Amino acid sequence: MADAELKQKVEELIAANPVLLFMKGTPDMPRCGFSMRVVQVLDSVDVEYGAIDVLPALQPLREVTAEISDWQTFPQLYVNGELIGGADIVEEMFESGELAEALGVEQPEVSVPAAAQATPPAQSPPLQIE
Amino acid sequence: MADLAEIRQMIEAALPGAEVEVVDETGTADHLRATVTAPQFEGLSRLDQHRLVKAAVKSRFDDGAIHALSLRTGPPR
Repeated sequence: MADAELKQKVEELIAANPVLLFMKGTPDMPRCGFSMRVVQVLDSVDVEYGAIDVLPALQPLREVTAEISDWQTFPQLYVNGELIGGADIVEEMFESGELAEALGVEQPEVSVPAAAQATPPAQSPPLQIE
Repeated sequence: MADLAEIRQMIEAALPGAEVEVVDETGTADHLRATVTAPQFEGLSRLDQHRLVKAAVKSRFDDGAIHALSLRTGPPR
């Protein structure tokens, strides 16, 4: 059973912030690769968002979000009061353009966040001499 | 540290007919990535698709075998 006071506080925060990220660490200093990936996506779509570091109260916040959204892992991105997802879903929706749509912003022209660019490309095709 | 074959079997057992691939992302077998294609995902949001997969392997999160499971899910095309 989640702490009722904390749960109410979290619900107020979700209601007050159109775009709210619960993450490990801060946008300037993420303390988890998954949280960092979501920060990179949000920065690349250039949207204003609130960020909450869950590390000081990790377990109580897990219990709260389990009750609110049936989701216990962080990061968690909320848009207009609804849970969008964690890093995997946020990235997938960013790549498809669904995230920009949900946020009501333009899809950036370079639609690959830094994290995806850092992934080594598939083996390049052999060079061909014409 | 998780047994990748067991993780795959747990997902397949929860989602009969699913195609499941489980990869060890870090070489330490506790940060895994799974691609799951399952007919049960038809019509479900991504959140609900992920909830089904996470529920299938919850016991391995709870006992600490898995720290992170990155997911890509969808119905068969």
